[in-house]
Amino acid sequence: MTDTAPSITREQTARVQTARVQTTRVHTALFAEVTQKLRLRAKELLESGEVVSVIGWEAGRFENQTTPAFITDANKVDRLIFNEYCANTLGKYVLSEKLDGKVAVCVRGCESRGINRMISDNQLKRSEVYLLGLPCPGMVESPEVSHASEPSHAPEASSKLLSKCAFCTHRQPVVFDEYLGTCEATDETLGGLIPKPIDPSERFSDVEELEALSLDERNAYFEKLYNNCIRCYACREVCPCCTCRECFVDQARAGWQGKQNNLEENRFYNLTRVFHIGDRCVECGECERVCPMELPLMKINRKMVKDLTTLFSVPEAGLDSETISPLNTYDVADLEEYL
Amino acid sequence: MSRIGVFVCHCGSNIAGTIDVEQLAQAAREFPHVVHTDDYKYICSDTGQQSIKDAIAEHKLDRIVIASCSPRMHELTFRKMLESTDVNPYMLEVANIREQCSWVHKDKDVGTKKAIDLVKMAAAKVDHDAPLFTTAIPINKRALVIGGGIAGMQAALDIADAGYPVTLVEKEPSLGGKMVMLDKTFPTLDCSACICTPKMADVGSHPLITIKTLSEVEQITGYVGNFEVTIREKAKYVDYDSCTGCGLCETKCPSKVTSEFNQGLGLRKAIYTPFAQAVPNKPTIDAAHCRKLLEGKCGVCEKVCAVNAIRFDDVDTTSTETYGAIILAFGYQLINWQELYGEYGGGLYQDVIHGLQFERLLNASGPTEGHIQRPSDGAEPKTLAIIKCVGSRDPHKGRSYCSRACCMYAAKHAHQYLDKVDGAKCFIFYMDVRCAGKGYDEFYMNTQHDGATYLRGRVSKIYEENGKLVCLGEDTLSGSQVRVDADMVVLETAMVPADDANRIGSMLGVTRDKDLWLSEAHPKLRPVETNSGGIYLAGTCQGPKDIPDTVAQASAAAMKVAILFNKDELESNAMIAQSNSSLCNSCGACEAICPYQAITLEEITRRENSVMVTRKVSKVNPSLCQGCGACTVACRPGAMDLKGFSDEQIMREVDALCQW
Repeated sequence: MTDTAPSITREQTARVQTARVQTTRVHTALFAEVTQKLRLRAKELLESGEVVSVIGWEAGRFENQTTPAFITDANKVDRLIFNEYCANTLGKYVLSEKLDGKVAVCVRGCESRGINRMISDNQLKRSEVYLLGLPCPGMVESPEVSHASEPSHAPEASSKLLSKCAFCTHRQPVVFDEYLGTCEATDETLGGLIPKPIDPSERFSDVEELEALSLDERNAYFEKLYNNCIRCYACREVCPCCTCRECFVDQARAGWQGKQNNLEENRFYNLTRVFHIGDRCVECGECERVCPMELPLMKINRKMVKDLTTLFSVPEAGLDSETISPLNTYDVADLEEYL
Repeated sequence: MSRIGVFVCHCGSNIAGTIDVEQLAQAAREFPHVVHTDDYKYICSDTGQQSIKDAIAEHKLDRIVIASCSPRMHELTFRKMLESTDVNPYMLEVANIREQCSWVHKDKDVGTKKAIDLVKMAAAKVDHDAPLFTTAIPINKRALVIGGGIAGMQAALDIADAGYPVTLVEKEPSLGGKMVMLDKTFPTLDCSACICTPKMADVGSHPLITIKTLSEVEQITGYVGNFEVTIREKAKYVDYDSCTGCGLCETKCPSKVTSEFNQGLGLRKAIYTPFAQAVPNKPTIDAAHCRKLLEGKCGVCEKVCAVNAIRFDDVDTTSTETYGAIILAFGYQLINWQELYGEYGGGLYQDVIHGLQFERLLNASGPTEGHIQRPSDGAEPKTLAIIKCVGSRDPHKGRSYCSRACCMYAAKHAHQYLDKVDGAKCFIFYMDVRCAGKGYDEFYMNTQHDGATYLRGRVSKIYEENGKLVCLGEDTLSGSQVRVDADMVVLETAMVPADDANRIGSMLGVTRDKDLWLSEAHPKLRPVETNSGGIYLAGTCQGPKDIPDTVAQASAAAMKVAILFNKDELESNAMIAQSNSSLCNSCGACEAICPYQAITLEEITRRENSVMVTRKVSKVNPSLCQGCGACTVACRPGAMDLKGFSDEQIMREVDALCQW
């Protein structure tokens, strides 16, 4: 590895998107109104017994930070909040909650696509969830938990969009039972509050940057990336595509995955994961957000998404629960350029 | 601890010429668990096989590696050999050191080194081989033939003559298909009806053949020997048991409809038999045009019917039956040239017709009683232009393939036209003349002697001028522009797959090629089989062909069915996929990707982590699975494994190559 190897901090690799959307306004009025509606409906749903649990967000331990909330008592719905710090994508929590009965869950674009993902993967039935659709202007980085190098992080800079939100193409839920927003549920500008989602031509600009690197540079980039992985598997745990009963890394008998924490094994883990989720990734960006080593995991996921989109002209994953992914179909007309 | 024997074949000098077989055998002796190695000139010979059997007994071998030619060549031979030993026939790995090694290398050192690697991998794999067993599948000895054209009829007759019952399903009201519409057949000019209708009658009277006309296959499930088929028999509105086929109803019916059988050139009634020799020779009511059924008035047919056979309250019926084998023979249709060839008028000019319409004009029982007359005004055309390859060999507008029969029937059309019309001129625009067949080229030559003018080039435009159809084209042999003022134009249009090809193909898991013709299992060696067991192809549903080829293929398919039915049960494939239900997370990827519909998700209820859990897991039908392995690759949780090629075996092979 050379000293000129591209840096891998999220800060710098997210250059493209942060250049595009440096900051975003915080839409206090929108959040207040949605929070109010959410509490009201959560109370009604729990009281009527239609759902046993409502999954949303509540205030976290720190100011400007939230944590997922699981409300089962109609008297505690006031704990629910919706603000610019609701960084967690909630969809996957449904899998453990649904065991007790029907679950209501707040869905923005990212959650709703994750829910569709899990329905198409037979992990969930549509009838097991009640989806409360929320509009999302994009979440911002919380100053308290930011790892930015600048110690003098001023509070007003807290309106910096999360990198996962900068690439978001669906600010509105793609599936819901009821919509709690203030505009049309199809209006991706949220009634003119925010700019239109990222232009398709720019969607893969960061991937193109990666592709433009020479083979050596790319190798150095990924070596550095995977050298830093600690294989905590947080990326797997939050992923709505990762629903195997026993992950390949844990299957001792077949011995797919060596247990040592080194470059080779880390690379094998990460690349296999990319292949396992590549055609199904709903691009919620949770893996990258939760990575304690701040590795830009979405970059290679999005490389896979880009390739599949180009090769098979498929829509984004998770927009519905019926479309079968191109890698799950057998078709004699499939491309066979590699043969 | 396993006891592996490795046997290296010289294959004369095929292998020994490029690989040091003795060094290879010696190297193999060092691999884990290998207790015996040997090399032999021809292992596949009787003495070679005997030497393996002897070694198994002497060294108590429990699994063997044979380093020889491709397993496609002799794996079965060696498996059969193992059947007479104590070793399970599947405890065998064949290392291909011929096609993949000795034949592609010249340097003996390189070849030997690679052969050692290949044997190393095979030894590592065989160490994880498990005994595999086949099961017996019962065979239901009844055949279903889909399509009642010449292919379907021939196949049905042959199977029935072999002594097995057949159901023949035809979606039109009569058997006969396209062949019975033709006037004469090349190159012998037999009257098509004269050779086709006796076959129809034979089918109709054969005690082992059940005919279902106006019927469609709605659903097919199951597998070789045991297909469950649901057939929808559409309402005919006539009770065939009492109808005598006298035809009085047809003469009295007041509704006139364009005749499909005459390709739109004539009329029929709303109650009709499509043509005089139809089988069954009984009428059906076309509900879309019957006044009684549409408006509740009329009912003349009912009044004139002497045997009270009219049933206005008739409804569609469906029945489900079990068959052991299916022959697909649903034929072709002609390409929709009007849609594609605007330059030929796109259907605007009545006197631009396609070949099958011309057949009906030539036919004595056709709309013009065999007189060649223009559809527009009934005049006899004195100049005829025939254009070949309309839709065929035209990747930009039509299809890239050659429809095979058109060169000959274009020649036949020219011959018949010149024969029937005095002082006629006939121009044939062609790209190539392809007449490979018995008596075919002679026929083409005769047509030229008859006076047909062959012009090598395509027609770029047809337009009407002073009552003539002007064909502008090119004669590439003289390099000049050509203009033919024709009275009528016949387009020899491409054959394309029938509408049913996709529906039935996907229902049965029979693959379609890029043009949607059904694919045979092997283009040379298994031309009538499909990749799905028990399903065979006959005629043009597999690709364009003429009548002799169709009949030959139909008989071949029938023979395959007879061979299948001659057994009492089938041996299932031992090397099939199996799912580990504890790993399966019910994502269904295997079900979606399986080309043979062999995988279903089934509910299981069991105790897991102290809780009763009901969840779905994938299940492989061992009779349907062909062991292709698509599901094992698609299975992310690693629950699906292929017996004989398990993940573990492949991993050990890779380890052997990379680590030993």
